[in-house]
Amino acid sequence: MTIEAATPLLTTWATDTAQPEPGRLDAVVPRENLLAAVQALVDARWGYLAAITGLDQGVEAGMFEVLYHFCSEAAVVTLRVPVPRDDARVPSVYAIIPSVSFYERELMEMFGIEVEGTPNSDRLFLPDDWPAGVYPLRKDFEMKDAGADHAS
Amino acid sequence: MQVPIMPAKGEKFIIPIGPQHPALKEPGHFEFSVDGEVVTGASLRLGYVHRGIEKGTEGRNWVQTLYLLERICGICSHVHATAYCLGVERLAGVEAPPRAQAIRSLVAELERIHSHMLWLGVAAHEAGFDMLFMHSWRDREIVMNLLEGLTGNRVNYSANVLGGVKCDIDARQTDAILAGLEHLEDRTRHYLNVVTSDVMFLRRTRGIGVMTKDVAEKLGVVGPTARASGVARDVRLNAPYAAYDRYPVELITATAGDLEARFIVRVQELFETYRVIRAILADLPEGGLTVRMPRRIKEGETISRVEAPRGELFYFIKSNGSDTAERVKVRTPTLPNMASVLTLAVGHQLADMPMILAGIDPCFSCNDRMIVVRDPAGRGAHWTWDDLREYGIEYYR
Repeated sequence: MTIEAATPLLTTWATDTAQPEPGRLDAVVPRENLLAAVQALVDARWGYLAAITGLDQGVEAGMFEVLYHFCSEAAVVTLRVPVPRDDARVPSVYAIIPSVSFYERELMEMFGIEVEGTPNSDRLFLPDDWPAGVYPLRKDFEMKDAGADHAS
Repeated sequence: MQVPIMPAKGEKFIIPIGPQHPALKEPGHFEFSVDGEVVTGASLRLGYVHRGIEKGTEGRNWVQTLYLLERICGICSHVHATAYCLGVERLAGVEAPPRAQAIRSLVAELERIHSHMLWLGVAAHEAGFDMLFMHSWRDREIVMNLLEGLTGNRVNYSANVLGGVKCDIDARQTDAILAGLEHLEDRTRHYLNVVTSDVMFLRRTRGIGVMTKDVAEKLGVVGPTARASGVARDVRLNAPYAAYDRYPVELITATAGDLEARFIVRVQELFETYRVIRAILADLPEGGLTVRMPRRIKEGETISRVEAPRGELFYFIKSNGSDTAERVKVRTPTLPNMASVLTLAVGHQLADMPMILAGIDPCFSCNDRMIVVRDPAGRGAHWTWDDLREYGIEYYR
């Protein structure tokens, strides 16, 4: 499927769209519209969820961005969900895409973004004795925060 | 369709498999709830070889990051470097010369041979067929030697540099590769015959771990795991990169969706790989190997996808205009394919679990991307970057 096929599916839910590169569509989707947008892509059988990327825009900007990348052959649609750092949560898409659990677990432990309603929030990659509330892929993470066992 | 995320509640027995070597010689921890011998639920814990590589990229410049990313995986190192280089080159508005792109594809296909043969051996070992394991690993040495001859290394070849490749290929190497391929092709025919006719082996693969096309599409599985269920998904065809538009690859699929189909697809892909390598060697573009790359990369974001031996490898790269990446996100093919292991596990015999796991050709290092080193010099269990650097300098002095 193509970018052209994806565009009308997202118009209701996206506040802004852009084509950063050929074959790519970026759609800014507010958090409350995320599930509807994902449902629209899945109902139309537009590609598959290839990855979820967390982005930290830094303490000053006060924002995270969660990117949901859908791929269909050469085309990539990215749903960009802005998430404030002081209210870091997104809804889980598990009910729509049941294979998403690993991606959501990674997002939670690496960025400290709560994925509301995800059925398994256990750590996936980080060690059992990793300190709570320390998220390594945040820009303000410092190695000493990880504790003596991990920082050296 | 349900993807299990926990062992089923109320079951009396939960069988832990791993973290030590659940199937391959790599760590991962599964918990299977069972009713008698039949699996009813499953969960997965990874991270035993997590090294924080994505974070590591934030403290390195674009060139250093290349060598770091290449060490995500010891099996498919080249394909990681390729995905990264192609992405960074696109951000910089630079294109590597055609000869470099062809050599990238060539090394990638040689890598695919060694990866598939490694997998064939491991999977055969899981089925208790150690003769096949030893044969395929013996024959794999041929391609390992070819890779060493071409790049200087058996693994982590570092064939890529930003803006091209570092190694050229001459007539002598071409002859060596062609001779090696001839022998390998002969052996591969034998393997195809074995995995489709050996009665004992088929009892471990035929009709086991069946994934329908519909389920495969819904789970978003990638690579040979998807193609064995009839999903036409191969980045080399869907979105050709490097030199795959010049040397097109034919899609290899199967419809059965069981373990046998996964064996057939991978072994048949080897034939296609031999053909593509010959096509590249017969028509290698002349010209330079590298173009100049700026030290700072223009601000922007890109997505780079390549077909690793295990399936689609996904890179998201963001530059802030400096000499360091703002963010490098890596999604390796094993992660989506793992969801299929948990899904397929339910309803199968516990004894089939290692085979179902091996069937996706899992790569835990890729997944996990902390290394704790046993310390010969008494520096404590953790080595700092400076320790490692000092050790390296001393070692090679």
